[in-house]
Amino acid sequence: MNRRQLLGLGLGGSSSLFLGGCALNGLSEAVGNATQPLNERLEALLQGQGPVPEFRPDQVEPAALLVNSFNGTPRLDPARYRLQVKGLVGRPLSLDLEAVAALPQHSCVMRHVCVEGWAAVVAWSGVRLADVLRLAQLSPLGGYVLIDSADSYFESWDLASALHPQTLLATHMNGAPLPAANGAPVRLAAPIKLGYKQSKWVTGLRVTATLGERRGTWEDQGYEWFAGL
Amino acid sequence: MAHTSARQPHHPLWTRAFHGFNLVVLLVMAASGLQIYNANPVFGGRGGAVVPDLFTLGGWLAGGRDWHFGFMGLYALNLGLWLALLIQRRRRRLGELGDLTALKASASAPRRRLSAHRIVYTLMLIVLAFSLISGLAMVKPAQFWWLTSLFAFAEPLGVSSWQALRVSHLATIPAMVLLVVAHVVLSWRVGGLRLLRAMSL
Repeated sequence: MNRRQLLGLGLGGSSSLFLGGCALNGLSEAVGNATQPLNERLEALLQGQGPVPEFRPDQVEPAALLVNSFNGTPRLDPARYRLQVKGLVGRPLSLDLEAVAALPQHSCVMRHVCVEGWAAVVAWSGVRLADVLRLAQLSPLGGYVLIDSADSYFESWDLASALHPQTLLATHMNGAPLPAANGAPVRLAAPIKLGYKQSKWVTGLRVTATLGERRGTWEDQGYEWFAGL
Repeated sequence: MAHTSARQPHHPLWTRAFHGFNLVVLLVMAASGLQIYNANPVFGGRGGAVVPDLFTLGGWLAGGRDWHFGFMGLYALNLGLWLALLIQRRRRRLGELGDLTALKASASAPRRRLSAHRIVYTLMLIVLAFSLISGLAMVKPAQFWWLTSLFAFAEPLGVSSWQALRVSHLATIPAMVLLVVAHVVLSWRVGGLRLLRAMSL
């Protein structure tokens, strides 16, 4: 083989690798299924229970926070809004906004990271998801929290992440009441998960022992379930 | 076969295996990385120019992430083992300060080429390690916040640490392309077809 032949072979070989990419796209899910269980276990191990360092309030980037919506923008009537807590709890709840506001208020200035690649520092405030679950007398049998939204968006979280001290049911963003586009009146916000885990327009929490067939609106299409940061 | 291998010296099997595997893993990481890029272009954001499908792998964002995070473990393992073996057994392949002096002062052209090659080779390893570190900072910004915060260097210029991180991680692709071209050209000039064969067969 001379130099020219070898170069030709090299060029032909590398371009066929690129073209082969199209055929390889069908294998993406298999690659994900083979590696995600290990990755998710490592993520859960890394996450631990400790709080994530927060940003200063003056570091918020309101313009950087893009809006993604799966099914338009539902407008919920604050007077008729109820947060339902059901499933493996000793005391099922139906909280109105006044009852939510009466719980201890917390805030978290965190980086909101979207699966698409962009990120924005946001100051969220509201109540801890853990406080709501404990108020409902969370059963020790609970392992997952299923989250229903008014726009029929669906999510499921592992209990450890749901009980994390920085996982909030936010009612305020950057010091003002939550705008409708960002999930008014109540949305999830946590620095430990990707944006698509953080449901907007949250209306229901269901504690379960196991994860069902449906794991989440985007997860069921192929996104990772744990999605830890 | 014994006759051929006596005439044609080969690199140790581990060198050839890591070298070939590294090439495949890098192509997968770059193509799936560009697929992820397209979900929200680093330059221009939504509405920014996207990378043509020909250079992407995964089909859509979740598919790209499947490949990228599926191969990141192999990538890290391959790079770590390769570095450890190099340092332990073939440290002479790595560049050193003497190579910079030789590049400037040596009268011997082959000596200068060898020095240039060693520097390119070492730079490649550094870029690969950097892409791993910047990737970790992006995929785990909450757990490795101290790593992510290193990218705040451009904040005085009005560039957020996240954007600096994204640009840095992306920049490893063009950097590697340039270094690979230099690596191939220099290998050719140092060892020609014999070296190429010894490395790949």
